[in-house]
Amino acid sequence: MSEKWKQEKWAEDIWYRGKVTRRSIVGWGGGAIGAMMLVPAPWRAAFGAEKAYKIGSEQPLSGPGAAGGKTAVVGLQMAADRINGSGGVNGRPIELVIADDESSPAVARQKTEKLVSEDNIDLHVGGFLSNICLACMPVWEDAKIVNIISVCLDTTLTTSKCNRYSFRPYDYAPAQAVAFAPTLTKMGKKWHVAFTDYSWGQSTRDAYINEIKKNGGEIVGTTGIPLGTPDMTPFLSKISGDFDGLFGIFFGKDGVTLVTQAYDLGLTKKYKFAGDGSISESTNLIAIGNKIDGFIGINRYIPVFQGPLDTPYHHKFFDEAKARLLKIDPSGPLPDKYVQSNYEAINCVKLGIEKSKFQGRADTMKLIEALEGLVMKAGEDFPQGDKVLRKEDHQAFPQEFIFEVSGGTYHLKETVPGDKTMAPPACNFSA
Amino acid sequence: MTAAPLEKTIPVGNAKLGHTTVFWIGFAVVMAILIVAPLILPEFWRRFLTEVLIWGLLAMSSDLLIGYTGMISFGHSAFFGLGMYGAAGSLIALSKSLWLATLCGLAAAAGAALFVAYFSTRLRDIYFAITTLIFSQIFYVIIFTWTTVTGGENGLIFTRPHLTIPFLYDARFTSTTMHWFVLAVVTASYLILRRLTRSPFGMVLQSIRENEPRTRAIGYPVERYKIVSVMLSGLFAGLAGVLYAVQNQFAAPDFVFFLTSGDTVIYNVIGGIGTLVGPIVGAGFFQLARELLARLFGDQFPYLIPLGAVFIAIIILLPQGLLGFARRWLNR
Repeated sequence: MSEKWKQEKWAEDIWYRGKVTRRSIVGWGGGAIGAMMLVPAPWRAAFGAEKAYKIGSEQPLSGPGAAGGKTAVVGLQMAADRINGSGGVNGRPIELVIADDESSPAVARQKTEKLVSEDNIDLHVGGFLSNICLACMPVWEDAKIVNIISVCLDTTLTTSKCNRYSFRPYDYAPAQAVAFAPTLTKMGKKWHVAFTDYSWGQSTRDAYINEIKKNGGEIVGTTGIPLGTPDMTPFLSKISGDFDGLFGIFFGKDGVTLVTQAYDLGLTKKYKFAGDGSISESTNLIAIGNKIDGFIGINRYIPVFQGPLDTPYHHKFFDEAKARLLKIDPSGPLPDKYVQSNYEAINCVKLGIEKSKFQGRADTMKLIEALEGLVMKAGEDFPQGDKVLRKEDHQAFPQEFIFEVSGGTYHLKETVPGDKTMAPPACNFSA
Repeated sequence: MTAAPLEKTIPVGNAKLGHTTVFWIGFAVVMAILIVAPLILPEFWRRFLTEVLIWGLLAMSSDLLIGYTGMISFGHSAFFGLGMYGAAGSLIALSKSLWLATLCGLAAAAGAALFVAYFSTRLRDIYFAITTLIFSQIFYVIIFTWTTVTGGENGLIFTRPHLTIPFLYDARFTSTTMHWFVLAVVTASYLILRRLTRSPFGMVLQSIRENEPRTRAIGYPVERYKIVSVMLSGLFAGLAGVLYAVQNQFAAPDFVFFLTSGDTVIYNVIGGIGTLVGPIVGAGFFQLARELLARLFGDQFPYLIPLGAVFIAIIILLPQGLLGFARRWLNR
């Protein structure tokens, strides 16, 4: 009786004419599973809890900025791995979409458009070269996407060219000048400023001139040296006269050239020698050797375990960053401010997402409101220390470290709290 | 080098169409495709196509010098960049008018072209090329270091002007209207340059290219013709700069650097020198190949290596460029 249905015509068609067989069920089932694995996005979309936050990041992975860009990615990846390893943000993992801007604004614009319209990123964390950060700012604004700047130093990003969508959760030149000027004027009253002659060098020079004068000091002269000048001797040999200190504003290999040639000309012996911390980044120290001994600098991050940097969370950050850097550079550089600011930028986003319950681009305004005035407390997320993202200009003011270099290492001399580095806001979002 | 082809007939079915008819039919088909494209393409590819047209206009402007006058210029980055900065300066300091920005960009490029032309057209061949290269680098250094005016390394960013036709139309650009605007400008530029190169003036330029001493000997003031050629070329390069600035809302010194001129020469060689349309094809081929290689092999793939190999292969196997090859193939 129970087998009678098998003799029905419809049952015969199914079971005995090859329409549905065990083999075909296994085949179709396997195919369906394979399709689900091969086309994960719609499947994931159907189960919102597993959909990753897509964070775009434009970095110079080739071209002149490549070395720094690769270091920056170490910081980003480190933070993303840590977040994903602990269950994600609001239960959702983070997916980094990294685009190589080739250190070129034209390529950067194309890649930015692609991140926005093809990759459908939820927000952007990145930007290394200031000209690229500036060139891409209108895209983020037009697309209404939050842009967390992670390395670019140009002052105008959060002053005259600020916009509601862009944030800088680390320092800028005016804040460093406020922090450093009292120390400089204690070292000597009369200063000569040598700077790399392009926009960053010029805006940083202006910030220091302003603050040194405010603190009772005097600028007796300035020397601009074009970016990438391999022989600075013709410029440096003209620096002479009655002043107390030489202040340098350089970065990358220009920093190495300045220190080496100023030392050879006897300038660093004759005058006190101070400057922007970019001159003495850990990657430069190896090339400069002991010629930089006695240099006094300022930086938001130095790879030492002294004062407020001697914390378990900084040890943890340092060890992991060092191990990851060794994988991309066998010379084993120590972590620098580029790793630190990218690592903390992702964690800043994490806090903002948690606070705003951000789900995607539609919630951009909620995220902006959560980030404005965001308090970041020192800990595993922020090993550099406490900071606040100021609402008026989206600029953060972290603590600054004044240090001396000797024997190839940094010696922390003074820590300036973030609230003592504040420069007045100069941003108008409606402009 | 190519000259205007003799009027031939091409059999199409039973009818025989003249070259001119075939050209205009082809032109209409390509235009129809380019007009409809932004309505079909996704956002990224829409902008991509617009950018190809802009780079194509820059390459086409240099074709007037390279392909028709026989002078290889490495100064086009300066004209392109100054067009860009002229438009940016006008939009920041004067008014939000698209047309005023265009005029300012053209004036800046034309001024620079006159200056470069006056000094460099006395020279020939490699000396001309090197002089234009040096001038472009001088403009680059001025723009890079004159921070108070040009923004230095950071360049200038500004709000995109509205697309306005006085008393008739005033609206924000969308990616579609921007594409149509760029397409209209590039098409008009192409038609003007085509007319110029087929005019008696264009014939003199081609005569200079073929034999400069003989052109001088029969009484043509060669230097004057060369100056006008450089100026016209610079003007259209400046127009491309204006379009790029309006599309991307920024001007940066990187575009004034001589590498942009190098790219322009490469687009010419790939597409076909002396064809006007060829450089646009070359720009499209180069940009598309770069994008596809990046998508296939990842962002960090060194695309310049395979593209360099393709470039060498084109020089050896297709010296007339992609368009020249296509023409020969179609005419078989």
